[in-house]
Amino acid sequence: MTAADIPDDASIGRTRTGTVRLRPGSRAPGVLLIVALLLLWELSSRAGWIVSAYWPPVSHILAAAVAQLAGGEILVSLAATLRRAAIGYVAASVAGIALGIVLARNRALRCGLLPLIEIVRPMPTPAIIPPLILFLGVDDALKIFIVALASFFPIFTTTFVGVASIDDTLIQTARTFRISSTRMLYGVVLPATLPAIAAGLRTATSLCLVVAVLSEMIAGSSGVGYYLVEMQYAMRPDLMYAAVFYLALTGYALNRGFLALEARLIPWMGKT
Amino acid sequence: MSHRSEARGMGLWSLASPALVLCVWELAGRLGWTNPILLPRPLQIIEVFLGLVSSGAVLSPLLHTVGLFMIGYVIASLLGTALGIAMATSQTLYGLLEPLVESLRPIPKPALVPVLFLFLGIGKATMIVLVVLASVFPVLISTFQGVRGLDPVLLETARTLQISRSRTIFSVILPASLPMILAGMRVALGLGLVLVILAEMLAGEDGIGFRILDHERSFQVREMFAWIVVLVALGGAMMKLFEIAERRLVPWRGRS
Amino acid sequence: MRRAFVLFGLLMMGLVALPASRAPAADLEKLRVSIIPIGDVAPLFAAIQNGYFRELGLEIDTTPSAGGAAGIPGLIGGSFDIVYGNVVSALLAVQQGLDVKVIAAGTNLADPAMDATPILVRSDSGIKSGKDLEGKSIAVNTRNNVIWLYARAWVKATGGDPERVTFKEVPFPQMEDALRQQRVDAAFMVPPFSIVASQKGGLTKVGHPYSDVQPGVDVGQYIATGKLVAARPETIRKFVTGLRRGVEWYNANLASDELFKLISGYTRVDVALLKMAPLPALPLRSDMSQVKKTMDLMIENKLLPAPLDLQKIIDPLAL
Repeated sequence: MTAADIPDDASIGRTRTGTVRLRPGSRAPGVLLIVALLLLWELSSRAGWIVSAYWPPVSHILAAAVAQLAGGEILVSLAATLRRAAIGYVAASVAGIALGIVLARNRALRCGLLPLIEIVRPMPTPAIIPPLILFLGVDDALKIFIVALASFFPIFTTTFVGVASIDDTLIQTARTFRISSTRMLYGVVLPATLPAIAAGLRTATSLCLVVAVLSEMIAGSSGVGYYLVEMQYAMRPDLMYAAVFYLALTGYALNRGFLALEARLIPWMGKT
Repeated sequence: MSHRSEARGMGLWSLASPALVLCVWELAGRLGWTNPILLPRPLQIIEVFLGLVSSGAVLSPLLHTVGLFMIGYVIASLLGTALGIAMATSQTLYGLLEPLVESLRPIPKPALVPVLFLFLGIGKATMIVLVVLASVFPVLISTFQGVRGLDPVLLETARTLQISRSRTIFSVILPASLPMILAGMRVALGLGLVLVILAEMLAGEDGIGFRILDHERSFQVREMFAWIVVLVALGGAMMKLFEIAERRLVPWRGRS
Repeated sequence: MRRAFVLFGLLMMGLVALPASRAPAADLEKLRVSIIPIGDVAPLFAAIQNGYFRELGLEIDTTPSAGGAAGIPGLIGGSFDIVYGNVVSALLAVQQGLDVKVIAAGTNLADPAMDATPILVRSDSGIKSGKDLEGKSIAVNTRNNVIWLYARAWVKATGGDPERVTFKEVPFPQMEDALRQQRVDAAFMVPPFSIVASQKGGLTKVGHPYSDVQPGVDVGQYIATGKLVAARPETIRKFVTGLRRGVEWYNANLASDELFKLISGYTRVDVALLKMAPLPALPLRSDMSQVKKTMDLMIENKLLPAPLDLQKIIDPLAL
């Protein structure tokens, strides 16, 4: 398994062989389609085809989105969510990369820890929240732990597989030159594994946001996830949909930001 | 070298550390180091678990969860593959669908639950659609990348041989991009399971997710853990089955 | 390239270092209270806003939990000192061996005219009683809990057999749609959803399970762990004192704009919407006989296997 085999959550426009170049204006039909769908939504609500307290016209949602941004409340919620996602992500990255490298290179530790990791891996995140509340409470500790746990697996797996599939000749060559194990790590192992690690980090980037929101929805008192539930209970669907919009925007921006960063940091990415 | 074959190679040794953890947990419970109400001992959990299995009580929720998941997952896999190939081979469809896909994809799916409840009601349809929404995008994107990453010579050859469009898709494109389609389906498997459990928690009719939450709300911690064991077993079995299927379908995989 | 990496790192660090909460006031004893953002907890917010707790040397930090799902589990997990929850959850927790106590009364629904928690049906359905609901379905927010229990009791009290009624789990915000779309035949709703739903027409109230089945029922309670009650009795006493002053203020200002504004502030519900339903007076003390009745109902509906010692569950402070 090579890094390129690992399905990434990158955008559609990217392929293994590089970015698809599109003729300008080729997305126009798609944009029109979205506009048409939104108009249909607006009409279905205004004309009373769909009558529900939870189906406001799009124009109300836009007004709510503007008010939300001007009042700053959505920014406060987003910051709380992003903060939890970021802490969990950083913790998962450190643990995932370190354990991935160590377990791939040390047989004894691999025998000891890999089975444990494999047992926890298939556990769906929502299932683990109820028992964890009893131990960690409903505060940041819980949410950050859940984010870290969910983000850990893709990072760990790609790192582990990446290190394990390094060409043996590379290691042997390095050994012949009798370089120290630290230099082996930084000079040989890490650069060769970086594309694989990046693929795992990318998957985790979108995962950490989703999981942070999810945990806030189940056991929250702040953050966008809680805000969504709160607005539902306060019968303010316009604010709720507006928050979903900002959330999607944030997710999109995170993904794009990661791709841009990756392209700069690992220029040899994708050339497997 | 794949780490999965490595795990198999360890054989019985791979059971050593989980067994050790369970022993320490059991011992800690017996010595009174843990709160017996919050954290039951493994043997107590296994007892409840065995009771669920022997009485057959495990069956209906298990079938509920597996049924919803499989329906959603199969739909998502077919839809994702079809859309992925369509968007990768047709510039028109790409232009039409790409903006929609890119704007729906980053929405955390749990946030869509209220909308789905409104249109589909609270029941199986909503749950299946949630699974589809969660699983379709990884399959779609992976398929798209797989098809776009194919060797142009392959497609040129098909064109020179004047093979029809549908035959090109089924005999050339589909087999060649199968590894990437399966890679997307592997990611979708995990996401689909997450959403089916979440859906069962939010619209509790039956299913493993409902049982876990219901026992938590009634503070029946042993039963809750027993259902989590059921879930872990189910998740593990699904992943194993997928790996076996993948190895059958793409035997050249992992022999790099 | 290196610079971009450093920038990324700094950005992450910046997010990690974002302040989690505002600085606490000095010299005040802090209590964390989990609340459900509904009208019932208005006295608590009134007491906070009017400075009653501050005068007693307490600082109350409220944490909302929409729907109340995170309440008692969060109390057990150590996130809260006090939880506003329902009596059924508290008794279920005690039955499973958890150490929780009722320290103050929350609600007391005696007058059906003031009861904003009705069972609604479609006006054209012809359903009038529990008997009519046999073979049909009713929406409750969660099964095996307080709403479910009183919906069952109401079905029975109005001549029906609860075993022959389907109880469907539907979150409160989705109940009205489910009812109008004929996905359920009845719904046990709470404000503000019940208010909005009955304003719009097409739906009829056929009963008020709380006040019909058990006039004076104590649905809501303030709950703490027995450990905290034993370790900081003085603090809990101060909390109950401050809360009672809040209840007195609330009962004296039932129709005031100030109260509606207060409730709108923490529930985020529009003031205009809140004003559509009258607010019931709230109790100063828990009523042991009412809790006993609830417990009997729980036994009858197999939520509890045997009676519990209520003297140990309801702290004398609450009475």
